[in-house]
Amino acid sequence: MTEAIVLKRKRGPAAILQALVPYLLAVIAAFAAVGVLLALLGFDVLRAYSTILFTSFRTTNGFIQTLIKWTPLVLQALAFTIPLAAGKFNIGGEGQLIVGGIGAAAVGILLAGLPLPILLPSVLLAGTLFGALWVLGPAWLLYRFGINEILTTVLMNFVAFELIDFTATKIWPDPAAGHPTTVPIGEGGYLPLLLSHPPLHSGLLIAVLVAILVYFYTDHTSAGYELVATGANPRASSVYGVNVRRMFLLSLLLGGAIAGLSGAIEVAGVHHRLIEGMQSNFLLLGIIIGLIAKGNNLAVPFVALFIAILEVGASALQRTMMIPGEMVFIVEALILIFVLLSDVVRRR
Amino acid sequence: MNQTPILHVEGINKRFGAVQALKDVDLSLQSSEIHGLLGGNGAGKTTLMNVVYGLYKPDSGQIFLRGRPVTINSPRDAIAHGIGMVHQHFLQINTYTVTENIVLGTPIPHRPTMDLTQARDKIRALSDRFGLEIDPEAHIEDLPMGARQRVEILKALYRGVDILILDEPTTNLTPQEVDSLFESLKLMVAEGMSVVFITHKLREVMSVCDTISVLREGRRLLTAPRSELSEEEIVRTMVGSEEALEDSMLFSEQRRDEEAGIVREEIVLDVSDMRIADENGVLVDDLSLSVRAGEILGIAGVAGNGQQELAEGILGIRPLSRGRVRIGDRDVTGLGTRQILHLGVAYVPEDRLQDGFLPTASVAQNLILGAQRRTPYSSARGVLNRRAITETAVALIQRFHIRTQGPEDMAATLSGGNIQRMMLARAFAHPVRLLILHNPTSGLDIPSVEFVYDLLLSHKREGTATLLISDDLDELMLLSDRIATLYRGRIVGVLERSAFDKYTIGRMMSGVEAHD
Ligand SMILES: Nc1ncnc2c1ncn2[C@@H]1O[C@H](COP(=O)(O)OP(=O)(O)OP(=O)(O)O)[C@@H](O)[C@H]1O
Ligand SMILES: [Mg+2]
Repeated sequence: MTEAIVLKRKRGPAAILQALVPYLLAVIAAFAAVGVLLALLGFDVLRAYSTILFTSFRTTNGFIQTLIKWTPLVLQALAFTIPLAAGKFNIGGEGQLIVGGIGAAAVGILLAGLPLPILLPSVLLAGTLFGALWVLGPAWLLYRFGINEILTTVLMNFVAFELIDFTATKIWPDPAAGHPTTVPIGEGGYLPLLLSHPPLHSGLLIAVLVAILVYFYTDHTSAGYELVATGANPRASSVYGVNVRRMFLLSLLLGGAIAGLSGAIEVAGVHHRLIEGMQSNFLLLGIIIGLIAKGNNLAVPFVALFIAILEVGASALQRTMMIPGEMVFIVEALILIFVLLSDVVRRR
Repeated sequence: MNQTPILHVEGINKRFGAVQALKDVDLSLQSSEIHGLLGGNGAGKTTLMNVVYGLYKPDSGQIFLRGRPVTINSPRDAIAHGIGMVHQHFLQINTYTVTENIVLGTPIPHRPTMDLTQARDKIRALSDRFGLEIDPEAHIEDLPMGARQRVEILKALYRGVDILILDEPTTNLTPQEVDSLFESLKLMVAEGMSVVFITHKLREVMSVCDTISVLREGRRLLTAPRSELSEEEIVRTMVGSEEALEDSMLFSEQRRDEEAGIVREEIVLDVSDMRIADENGVLVDDLSLSVRAGEILGIAGVAGNGQQELAEGILGIRPLSRGRVRIGDRDVTGLGTRQILHLGVAYVPEDRLQDGFLPTASVAQNLILGAQRRTPYSSARGVLNRRAITETAVALIQRFHIRTQGPEDMAATLSGGNIQRMMLARAFAHPVRLLILHNPTSGLDIPSVEFVYDLLLSHKREGTATLLISDDLDELMLLSDRIATLYRGRIVGVLERSAFDKYTIGRMMSGVEAHD
């Protein structure tokens, strides 16, 4: 038994670069595939590429749009990856965002007169709590009866759609708006601007902070270790003393809270009111980001940034070249597929 | 060996990252032979057979079947070429019947009606022909390990293979099941089939194999007919060191009592009147036992007679329906598993894959499982100390000879025996008052078994109490101070070391009380 052990450290720039190679290849392959499609449809492929990739960097406005887009995307992705670490799937991020937004708007409207130091924290806190509350049902059913969370979290989304409609058309409707919208929240509930021209709200900083905290929690604390262990093998984790059902519950609640916070930030930072449809396609993009990052919470903010760049490129594509923005969605989906494929290939 | 081998591999190389798992391996399998493949943990046995079975693509090398070169890209190809394999850790669908599990993935003649009569008849015929007793209608979940193993073998035979690869098939079998497996293998080779048989148990090799090959660190070092080899020669080749083997416990059959120290007065574990029941019925009943400091209490019994439930009941993994558990002067009944582990209890579960390891986590993370909230791994506030974790991992990897590329390596890449070493390293990483070990040497190579026995005895000397649950009677008799035999969740009797007797314990294992 005198086998030499090679104690190789798997960190360092070389290792990171090596880990990035399959991602780069996936991105190139996805762009190539969509390029063929665009060429067949008769578009200028190179111009389309440059629009998708560089709109974010050509103008200040483009860059700020990217950061504004990044904020809900990174939070939605984390709302998905935290339960994922424990092996659970939160597919209810948009419902939690909506209900978080409702909570934020309710507080912002009802307490509209309060000054900023009180109202803004209350608005954000209400969003966080409402988001967590919205996943409490599915989380409890899972904890108590082992009912699959995928179905229940998805179903709660549909309830949330009804709820936002009711709030925006029946409780605090803004009759002047042509679309289901509430009246604005009190100005004390607005997130302060970091830049005014073009406007950039400080929700960005909250998202950065949350991303750092989540990474710290999952990768540098013993509680986070237990979360990851639960995801890796719940049976073994419980044999070694981890209360795995509690981890399931906790991870879903955390995910819901973060999704709810993202709803509050949309209300307090972007719209200053509740607008039906404000959840956009953040849920799907959040899941795509989480899966491309393979649940690695250090990678999530960077993948989210990349997707935000593509998303901003997508709107420009539509505006300037009349190419449907869905093309970019195909790129994103293809990247995910190729990243997953590269895993299968490498395993042999 | 002038006849063309039925299977021949030549110059096989396979590398995983920095590990050269196979180096230029040649191997020939003659028809109608049982070919024993031996080697230390991580020597490359499973990898080599996975190459033959089409699960891994070799970096270089060629496979020949009956003298003709072939390429095998998948298990499907392998089966089409008549090669079947039963894995070290196989997967079956628990809720399906034996027949359904066997036909899964084969063309079914009456798909719309799922009429499996023909299949069932064929399975019955095979089962009779090779003495592989099985009920085709039984559900997998109701079957003991030996029967599941037979299902795996029948699965291969059903597909008409004539080369059968068995990767450590005897690890979880009772001695009777091993004997009947060997009878079946002999019937198979008598009909012209060929078998590759991987094991760590010399006695099995010597009793059933015609030819023996030994791998070490990815190289094949020896192939010879059994009749020309001695056990010692085999072990020497596997270990590769000149150190004297005469000292080895494995060849002495006797515990070195002078080294074992004495049993102290202090009772460390006390179980009284334990009863565990769930929806499947009563699993442990009316069970009382105690283990003193410096004592090894062996638990014998046919697998599935309440051993795992007993361990899990003590550790708080399963709730007790009745009874109490004390550790030292503390009543731990109803306490959480983590608190119990923190009292200085270590556990090595039987089922390493299900209960013992985190496949996608790193080796270092696996090694602190259960200790993640202790200093120095975690501060009082719950912040992990990565440095301490890595340092511990490096030390444990070295001390327990875990073959891995390093602490950050993914645990799923470890060989079966190395996963076992990792679980043992975890159990022995901290000062421990009470060890609960369930088949601790399963899948370990000979030197590692020796290492574990030494470790157990040195802990015993220092006053650790050990509950040693094992399917291996020799192991129990070698190490224990007393042996309690379990039958249907109850203790049939307890023997003192001076009264150990294989025959008596064997009778107790079938439920016969000792004193009649
Ligand atoms: N998929 C893989 N990725 C990386 N390394 C691997 C992989 N599979 C095997 N290895 C390494 O190759 C070596 C040989 O492993 P293998 O499983 O063939 O050993 P083995 O002889 O079957 O051992 P055991 O007796 O413990 O089952 C080990 O060091 C193992 O860690
Ligand atoms: Mg193996």
